[in-house]
Amino acid sequence: MATTIEQPEKTKAEPELLGLLAEFDDPHALVAASTKVRDAGYNRWDTHTPFPMHGIDEAMGIKWTILPWIVAACGLTGGTIAISMQYWMNAVDYPFLISGKPLFSIPACIPITFELSVLLAAFGAFFGMLGLNQLPKLYNPMFKSEAFRRVTNDRFFLSMDASDPKFSEIDTGEFVKSLNPIHVEEFWSDVESPKLPRNLKLGLSLVGVFMLMPIALVAYKRSTVTDTPRIHIVPDMDFQPKLKTQNTTGIFGDGREVRPHIPGTIPRGQFKDDNVPFYYGLKELPEDQDVITIAVQDDKKADEKKPVADEKPAEAGKADAKSAAAAKAAEDDKLAKLPWVTEFPMPVTEKMMARGKERFRIYCSVCHGLGGEGDGLVTLRAMDLQQGTWVKPASYHTDNVRKQPVGRLFNTITNGVRKMPAYGPQIPPEDRWAIVLYVRALQKSHQVDAKTLTDEEKQKLRDTK
Amino acid sequence: MASVASEPIDTTTEVPGKRTPLVTGAHDYGSITEAVCRLAECKAPLSWYLALAVSASLMGMLFGLVGYLIITGVGVWGNRSPVFWGWPIVNFVFWVGIGHAGTLISAILFLFRQDWRTGINRAAEAMTIFAVICAGLFPGIHIGRVWLAYWLFPIPNQMSMWPNFRSPLLWDVFAVSTYATVSLLFWYMGMIPDLATLRDRAKNKVAQFAYGLFSLGWNGSSRHWHRYERAYLLLAALATPLVLSVHTIVSFDFAVSQLPGWHTTIFPPYFVAGAVFSGFAMVLTLMIPVRSICGIKDLLTDRHLENMTKVIIATGSMVGYAYAMEFFIAWYGGNRYETFAFINRAFGPYAWAYWIMVTCNVISPQLFWIKKIRTTPWMIFVVCIFVNIGMWFERFVITVTSLSRDFLPSSWGYFKPTIVDILMLIGSFGLFMTLFLLFCKFLPMVAMAEVKSVVYEPPGHGDYQPKDEELD
Repeated sequence: MATTIEQPEKTKAEPELLGLLAEFDDPHALVAASTKVRDAGYNRWDTHTPFPMHGIDEAMGIKWTILPWIVAACGLTGGTIAISMQYWMNAVDYPFLISGKPLFSIPACIPITFELSVLLAAFGAFFGMLGLNQLPKLYNPMFKSEAFRRVTNDRFFLSMDASDPKFSEIDTGEFVKSLNPIHVEEFWSDVESPKLPRNLKLGLSLVGVFMLMPIALVAYKRSTVTDTPRIHIVPDMDFQPKLKTQNTTGIFGDGREVRPHIPGTIPRGQFKDDNVPFYYGLKELPEDQDVITIAVQDDKKADEKKPVADEKPAEAGKADAKSAAAAKAAEDDKLAKLPWVTEFPMPVTEKMMARGKERFRIYCSVCHGLGGEGDGLVTLRAMDLQQGTWVKPASYHTDNVRKQPVGRLFNTITNGVRKMPAYGPQIPPEDRWAIVLYVRALQKSHQVDAKTLTDEEKQKLRDTK
Repeated sequence: MASVASEPIDTTTEVPGKRTPLVTGAHDYGSITEAVCRLAECKAPLSWYLALAVSASLMGMLFGLVGYLIITGVGVWGNRSPVFWGWPIVNFVFWVGIGHAGTLISAILFLFRQDWRTGINRAAEAMTIFAVICAGLFPGIHIGRVWLAYWLFPIPNQMSMWPNFRSPLLWDVFAVSTYATVSLLFWYMGMIPDLATLRDRAKNKVAQFAYGLFSLGWNGSSRHWHRYERAYLLLAALATPLVLSVHTIVSFDFAVSQLPGWHTTIFPPYFVAGAVFSGFAMVLTLMIPVRSICGIKDLLTDRHLENMTKVIIATGSMVGYAYAMEFFIAWYGGNRYETFAFINRAFGPYAWAYWIMVTCNVISPQLFWIKKIRTTPWMIFVVCIFVNIGMWFERFVITVTSLSRDFLPSSWGYFKPTIVDILMLIGSFGLFMTLFLLFCKFLPMVAMAEVKSVVYEPPGHGDYQPKDEELD
């Protein structure tokens, strides 16, 4: 009793029988029917139910899906991508060095590796399911059946595909009827091609073109030259409502954005320049104010060259060393000519001497030695290692150092000399002067004739341990 | 025809030796479809329009404020030295927490074969998606220059630099976006057969087209169902550790820092327990009114509510234990900054927030030990509101108290939210509710196919009597 569904009027091609649909109203009847169809040896057939029926898989003889393997493969791919991405990006292409930690370590990579594995595995599960089911397939000839609409509600269907080798219209129809369905119908192929309506196509193309336009505009703007100012869609910090030099403003009466000095105030940096002897060790600043710092910088550059010079052939090394020595001599001359102060620019007291001794022992004695002979523990160790990069610190008791004015000694502590780094940032000026005072005392102690001392002083020295 | 029960039963009582039905009322497959589709097919009640109007205007306010913030800068928030992590982060962690219940109910209960999940999982998953949208908004705008948000992603740009993968903040980007994507897939995949139901019942062309498009041509084939169920199981198995990982990673934002009160190893489990706790409370807060208004009490029975309150007791107790353990470790660890941070939380300038949190989170869920409260919907509703408030305050207490009183008294301060902070929090509820209301109206609120499969007794299982064959 197969009922033919209504055929369209304009028949362009003969409609083809695609299969039979049998409708059941009880899930268990469908399971029973499925078993019979399976046993009858059909291959291309299916059942359609509103919910996943457990037990029908066995009844139909459905094999296990390969989906879990797809998911596993996707998950492993995700993990591999994550690990290699993190390694390449953070350790190879753009190394991130944070607090001396290794550039690549597995524990820090775990969260993202896990997330990407799960993400790709989930895509594998979802799209794998759709792919294996050949979905989305928005058009299906079965959907034309009015009765089939209840398949997602409360009815159960069995569909026999006409392409099955065992399928024959009459025999199969009889067989299906013997399964006691409540209704059987045929479904036919379409004679009209299920194409999209013309208007819809046109509309979608227009939308597509419009969506491409902004991208095309951006590409055009980026690849062409223009003499008009560039367009700032997001101005970021290019234009700021702050005052700048050489501009005018309405905020101040004189209309200038640059402000003159306000009477009675000291500009930043001026304070030091008002106390040149104390802060620089100079009577007055030379016209070329940078002379001191420049001398030190040159010295550092020369140091940087040294290791390179060592690698060069001996002759070139010698030439370099010679030129470096010449440069040093020139600097020494430059420094010697500066107007160093010869008196302490602060009152000299017993307390200052004690402070100087303490600071000297903290900062200077490690290299220069407790007596200032250049035999500190660091020096001794460096000499012991014989690495060749260590310049032995000068003894304070050479004529050269003894003749230096206090201002120059102060400058040496502040800005460093040769291998000695600048201690200015670490030691405040008062303490630097105190150290200079103590150095002077050390120098004096090495050059005193015992005869010039009074008995009291000799006694005092003997009592000192 | 398979019908379930002929008369209403009290499903909250256990009868030994008998399975309590998951669906009450005289339902067959068709009537389940009717009950669920009625919401989408009939004209919405006036109350729905009113609720949508209110929440949509709040959502509008939120978007207006986001625009204001982007144009003006993040200074419109109360985030100042020393509290630079203010309400936006509090809201983010709060909403991410809310977003945990959906996937948890769906995935973990699915893996444990807890069939009672079928009544609530769809709405809970939808809630997850919407909560994650709200959550994602806050860190998105918190970065200040939102148009440079792409710097967070490992995509090649003209600066030829890459993000730092050792930063928990970047882990967050991956965790939350993966969670959002997988939850969306899980939700959408579960909905495909139900969308097909709506497609087959749709009367007007627009609905037919829209549901037809999104149901992807589903035809209920058993071969399809077989793969579909496999995929669903796999997604559930993937989503379960994912749920746990997301809040763990969110907690790393705090725990990996050195701030007293943040630098603790209890954070990952404690945050996850808190997230589940707040998520279940939010599901209940939503479902209790919805099931009355939409008339789906048969599918979402009192037993569902009671089961969820039991989860709330469990997770609420875990949260309470975590509070106690934090104090214990602060004392036992002997770190004086840590000790101070916790004493300061309870008795310092934010003591008010701390005690609101303790009252709402530790004391109120314990009321569920009383059966009367556990089985009376309006009482559950009230307690769940308290839990939601408490969980927001928990995030506030953690974020703000630690930052406002860290190591040096010279860098102490008191955080005050601005009006923008407050309105944005309210606005985020508007966004959440708008999405939820639209979902209630246009999408299947209950997983019909799953409920039907719970009603169906497979041959040879349980106490099923093959009536038809006997009659034959």
